[in-house]
Amino acid sequence: MEQLIQKLKEEIIEALNLSEMKPADIDEKAPLFVDGLGLDSIDALELTVLLEKKYGLKINTAEEGKKILHSVNSMAEFITANKKS
Amino acid sequence: MKAYIQSIGAISPQNTFTGEGFLQEVMAYHHADYLKCIEPAYIDFMDPMASRRMSRIVKMGVCAALKCLRDAGIDNPGAIVTGTGLGCIADTEKFLGSLYANEEKLLNPTPFIQSTHNTVAAAIALMLKCKNYNNTFVHRGFSFEDALLDGLMLLQEHSASNVLVGGLDELTDHSYTITSRLGLWKKQSLDNLRLLDYKDDGSLPGEGVAFFLLSESKSEKSLAKINAVSTFYKPDSHAEAERKIQDFVSTHLGDIANVDFVITGMNGDRVADEVYHHLGRTLFSRLPCGYYKHLCGEYDTSSSFALYLASMILKTQQVPVVLKCDDKPVGKMKNILIYNHLRSVNHGIFLVSTC
Repeated sequence: MEQLIQKLKEEIIEALNLSEMKPADIDEKAPLFVDGLGLDSIDALELTVLLEKKYGLKINTAEEGKKILHSVNSMAEFITANKKS
Repeated sequence: MKAYIQSIGAISPQNTFTGEGFLQEVMAYHHADYLKCIEPAYIDFMDPMASRRMSRIVKMGVCAALKCLRDAGIDNPGAIVTGTGLGCIADTEKFLGSLYANEEKLLNPTPFIQSTHNTVAAAIALMLKCKNYNNTFVHRGFSFEDALLDGLMLLQEHSASNVLVGGLDELTDHSYTITSRLGLWKKQSLDNLRLLDYKDDGSLPGEGVAFFLLSESKSEKSLAKINAVSTFYKPDSHAEAERKIQDFVSTHLGDIANVDFVITGMNGDRVADEVYHHLGRTLFSRLPCGYYKHLCGEYDTSSSFALYLASMILKTQQVPVVLKCDDKPVGKMKNILIYNHLRSVNHGIFLVSTC
């Protein structure tokens, strides 16, 4: 899980062009949107594409998306639970 | 239609943004295939979080606009109008490349959103939270001229007391390759300051961004006054182009002898420059003439760079030697005529005067 979280942080930095940030700057428990990293709706789309491209996982509803994209931890949990072996 | 230029933000292959003075240090590019802009330190103008999605042209556009507004002391302009020939072409290429590579699936939204031609005008408005008039003209070689005409009309109708008008275009590797195949550029690398020495076909591609804060009233900061702008399309002959320019000058200035300096759009292309040579023998025969595309290269909105030069000449009362293409003496500068055309199709004329 630790490895996956670190990898996800690196992928998020690359996908969202957060070039001023390092993986250590992202708190895996903190919300990604509004209060935490301050991401917005376009970032949500980018993260949805990232999950599908890199892990082959789809988010089916907006409600589901809110829970999955809440934090790096919630994304990692979703990947671990659903990743095809 | 008249307007005062209160400030300018120009990013070009010359030190027009951060450099001291007016063309004090001219950038010479040796063995150049194209001229690229000298980019400023964006962090001085934008929070990296806010600019992270912006492509190069968007960053340059927003930066030039913010500097222009800062210099004029304006927080929120009455209107934002831009002109661009190719828009945000780098993001368009990125989006199309991804469309092809991913077989039309799983496309990233950012390059698509940012690829529209009005992205720069929109990004400026978003940063300023400016909900006023916002428009972008994509009219090839008329793009900047039409944006400027729109801005002037807004002032004339009192729809706004100040207007931010900009011209912008970027050059990418892809667009350079494609336009090279069309035969638009010189086949050999060249020294930009010797552009007119190469007497063959093609020009030197370039890029640039220039924003102008226009107002209907004069202030202490005013750099120059735009007296008139006009365009004409594909003249049948050089004589017809001459007549159009003669009519423009007669209407707005009277005698051609009242023009103190002419800035032409000579770009080193044998065919494209013929009309300028014709005018040099006729209408402009007694006038000191200059050119500018050896400094910024050829692009759809290069006349915005010419307007920057004219404004700075009028403000400083100095014509840098690098701009001159003849030995005629220049005196006190009161009226400058800019005449430029893009590929003999889109012709633009500007009359700029001291305030």
